[in-house]
Amino acid sequence: MRTYILKRLLLIVPTLLGVAVIVFLIMRVIPGDVALMILGGDDGGQIDPQQVAAVRRQLGLDQPLIVQFGTWLWGVVRFDFGDSLWTGQPIVHELAIRLPLSLQLALMATFVSVLIAIPLGTLAAVRQDTWVDYVVRIGSIGGLAIPSFWIGILCILFLVIFFGWGPPLEFTPPWVDPWVNLQMMVWPVVTVGYRYAAVTTRMTRSTVLEVLREDYIRTAWAKGLRERAVVVRHALKNSMLPVITLIGTEFAFLIGGLVVTETVFTLNGIGRFVVEAVAHRDYPVVQALVFLIAFSFVMVNLLVDLTYAWFDPRIRYR
Amino acid sequence: MTGSRRQLTLRFVVALVLLTGVALMASLPTAQAAETPRRGGVLLAAIGADPPSLDPHQESTFANIQLVAPLYSTLLQMDPLDSSKIIGDAGTEWNTSPDGLTVTVKIRPGIKFHDGSTLTSADVKASYDKIVFPPQGVRSSRKAHYAAVAGIEAPDPSTVVFKLKHPSAAFVANLASPWNVIFPKKYLDKDPNHFKNQVVGSGPFKFKSYVRGSTFEGERNPDYFIKDRPYLDGYKFYISPETSVRAAALRSGRAHIEFRGLPQSEVDAIRKQLGDKITVQEAPTPGWWAVGFNNKVKPFDDVRVRKALTLAIDRHTMGKVLFPLTGLRDVGGLVRPGTQWAMSPAELEKLPGFGRDIERSREEAKKLLAEAGFPNGLKFTMINRNVKLPYQDFAVFFIQEWKKIGVEVENRPLETAAWFDAGRQTKNYEAIIDPHVDFMDEPDLTLADFLSNNPVQNWMNHSDPQLDDLYARQARALDPAERKKLVNGFERRVFEQAYFAHGLWWVRSIVHASKVKNWVAAPSHYSNQKLQDVWLSED
Amino acid sequence: MATTDYALTHAPVSPMLAPRLTVAGEIAKFARTKPVGAVGGGIILAMLAVAAAAGTLAPYDPYGADYSLQFARPSVEHWFGTDEFGRDIMSRIMHGARIALFVGFFASFLGCTIGGLLGVTSAYLGGKVDLLLERVMDMLLAFPQLILALAIASILGPAVHNVVIAIAIPIIPRAARVVRSTALSVKENVYVEAVNALGARRTRVVLRHIVPNVVAPYIIMLTAQLGGAILAEAALSYLGLGAAEPTPSWGLMLSGSALSYAEKAPWIPIFPGIAISLGVFGFNLFGDSLRDALDPKLRGR
Repeated sequence: MRTYILKRLLLIVPTLLGVAVIVFLIMRVIPGDVALMILGGDDGGQIDPQQVAAVRRQLGLDQPLIVQFGTWLWGVVRFDFGDSLWTGQPIVHELAIRLPLSLQLALMATFVSVLIAIPLGTLAAVRQDTWVDYVVRIGSIGGLAIPSFWIGILCILFLVIFFGWGPPLEFTPPWVDPWVNLQMMVWPVVTVGYRYAAVTTRMTRSTVLEVLREDYIRTAWAKGLRERAVVVRHALKNSMLPVITLIGTEFAFLIGGLVVTETVFTLNGIGRFVVEAVAHRDYPVVQALVFLIAFSFVMVNLLVDLTYAWFDPRIRYR
Repeated sequence: MTGSRRQLTLRFVVALVLLTGVALMASLPTAQAAETPRRGGVLLAAIGADPPSLDPHQESTFANIQLVAPLYSTLLQMDPLDSSKIIGDAGTEWNTSPDGLTVTVKIRPGIKFHDGSTLTSADVKASYDKIVFPPQGVRSSRKAHYAAVAGIEAPDPSTVVFKLKHPSAAFVANLASPWNVIFPKKYLDKDPNHFKNQVVGSGPFKFKSYVRGSTFEGERNPDYFIKDRPYLDGYKFYISPETSVRAAALRSGRAHIEFRGLPQSEVDAIRKQLGDKITVQEAPTPGWWAVGFNNKVKPFDDVRVRKALTLAIDRHTMGKVLFPLTGLRDVGGLVRPGTQWAMSPAELEKLPGFGRDIERSREEAKKLLAEAGFPNGLKFTMINRNVKLPYQDFAVFFIQEWKKIGVEVENRPLETAAWFDAGRQTKNYEAIIDPHVDFMDEPDLTLADFLSNNPVQNWMNHSDPQLDDLYARQARALDPAERKKLVNGFERRVFEQAYFAHGLWWVRSIVHASKVKNWVAAPSHYSNQKLQDVWLSED
Repeated sequence: MATTDYALTHAPVSPMLAPRLTVAGEIAKFARTKPVGAVGGGIILAMLAVAAAAGTLAPYDPYGADYSLQFARPSVEHWFGTDEFGRDIMSRIMHGARIALFVGFFASFLGCTIGGLLGVTSAYLGGKVDLLLERVMDMLLAFPQLILALAIASILGPAVHNVVIAIAIPIIPRAARVVRSTALSVKENVYVEAVNALGARRTRVVLRHIVPNVVAPYIIMLTAQLGGAILAEAALSYLGLGAAEPTPSWGLMLSGSALSYAEKAPWIPIFPGIAISLGVFGFNLFGDSLRDALDPKLRGR
């Protein structure tokens, strides 16, 4: 087991390095000069080409790519992502402002979805082929088919047209004012969480179905255990593992969901920050964000794999 | 009269008196409210973007100036209640020497910066030196507007003198630019970029807090040099990039005002819901959207092709179609319709593309294309900015119109950075959507787009010595009538050569709660943001 | 899609030898035993038909703006109403089906095919090549699909053909992984080694033995990714990185001002959303049932 963990951890390093290189190169390949953007503002203005050159020098953009990459990498190792080209502020600063919201959104969406999905999926499995099962199945296939940003749009439409409601404009952390915080977060959580709940429901349902057919379950029936005891004590426990794996694979879609949902609801989070930074050609921010996202993605998957391996020894020896 | 009749009459008279009394009382409070400003309250505003930095000298975006204008003073300013007048701010009086080469401004005594120090001409000189002669590594976004300045002097603490290389009709107006805020010299001496993230001003409000992507707050300056101003206790901007969210904020009362303008459909919806609790101000803006042709690329080097392309566009219908969607409405030349330099509509309609008979124009266009060697139409790509409003809607209209003369155009939106790149540097396009917005109506600013040696602003990529000459002459013409003639001559030349296909002038619809008093929208969304005379009639 | 990914990459290691029925026979059996999948298939066929016949079926030109009819409500002349330029929404949705199917199919096809080829090559050649390819795939897999597509779309610029590329690229490592594991299991089959021992040429072995057994998971991947590709195109167009105006892409019809106009004209954001959901729904249903039909070992239903 220990060698497995070590092996996996070591493999991460080249992967992350590759990720860093890819991100770095992608940003340099996109056409557009951040210096021009900074000088020119929104609606067109007069710019002195010498000033453009001066700005580029100031931002360190005239150094050879290798040097820029090296400097950046060295900073990352020390948790210093450098300064944003657009604002001149340390990126860690910008992240600190936006991270709480995205984190809350992601965690709440995961938590609420799992809370709803596991009972629903189990119910559908236990009542297979009844109307309950069909309703749950159609609802969850819908979650996979309906674009999450459309759900967001429909939510806003509904609220604006029927209630003349406007979302709160400022993020209030839940420990400051939970009610206002909830007002802002509930609809984005629904939007992000619907897909997640759908996938988890389906997974729960299929694994519970499989487990229910196993011999030891039949033994439990034969022994005369009540349905509830059978389901909860035996079937459910063994269905947990695949659901945990889901957290790993669905994390990617969760991030994608954050980007789109934060755009629809204009929340000041990491997802929207990425889109804006790409539009501004703010290389350091995009590099930092994408790197962090890839890093957390890799880490989450690692944790999930390790959890799985711990529970199921067969998987370790591939 | 009999007894009972007398009683009736009496009752009638009493009722009448009572009614009149009630009516008078009902009307009084409102009449009073319109006259006596109420103190207190925080103005809540919604804004669509974050600025890159807080230094107005270095930025050109409304996201900067709207946030920081209340924190600073400028030498002169546009009168908040009458945008055609220039009044003093930190400066009290100014005069130009007879030869037009010296402009002297007297500075008001007793102005204090927020850190307690006094504002003197040394600070004004340091700030203007930074604008006109920026040191290495410091940008000055409007440096080119001050090309006429030879030097700046501060002979005594309350006088500043500008020496010019040649007389300039626009110079005094440029001193009223909202971007030219006065910084304390001592911080500039240490670090000219100090004010990108710090605020030390002399304005009616002091800096309170800034959370990027979220909020910006200012609070009342109790030591402001105008006694009993500002009326407000403070102001707070909510940063919210999505238009419909800002509109929703106004509807739900979470915000009192949105300074840049909202699309007509949002304005209508808000008006329907809130009735007279909301006020809408229409501000014709010194800004237009147009399509620039790359005059150095075939077939746009042929004036017949260019003319055909501009003749095909029905500008009068364009206003009706695009205004509800985007705020682009007014048909005009290169100077804003309604200003002192604008041509009359009758004169404008004689120029190609502005006539009322669109069918005839389209016939002529097809003929010109055939003459130029394109009897079966033409195909090209148009570069656009990847922002929805008004860029995409504007492009869709043009593409539809060109289809009617057999021209197929592909709309290719680029990321803002790439689009700016193409327009300002590489000139790698056939046609490009080309907007232009100034802070005030001033031909020096608008016409500069058509100069030969101005690649950064000239997206038509052409070179016309006649235009260069007309520009130089109008910039030096101090007689308004003479200047108008030259400006109109410039316009005629541009439109006859069809260097670009003009679009429409921008009219912003600014929505605010009726309780926001004493704020009059200026033509541009960069001006009149100091908020010192604004008050709220209720919280 | 996630569930397919998981199920296939953790599938028990056993060779899958595809049965050899006629194509027509397969289809009939499928419709009989998996009615839900048949419904999905029906939706897909309907979508294909609409897309193919859009030119004749659509009552108006999808680009034709009628300025007197901006924001018209749904009526007999315009079943789905008109948008902000007076363009008929139903016609735009019909033509939008073409774009959705085009992007969905080509992105999925490109990604799965390239990924599949890489997977087969990696599995068959083994050794250093396998290791290197696996590492590169891992790097690409570290990016969530939308983020990678976003970055690529930013480089290429908004246009339908660029969206295809941007969506196809994240699919490649995912397809490669699945195909590689299947190919590996086939490779372990003694039969293949026997053929090798008899001296058959390498390519011959690959073509005649590995590829047919990889076809089933390849097709499953293809249909599974198709729905996802349509969603991704919608999301990218919504963010402004996909198709550009005035192209009638469903995602583009939902973007930006659709929300602003929604109060005045709610039909503008509603119909494109329904179209997207229906399309992806059809592909998901069909793909699910296809997977069940082709892989008896999985009792996911």
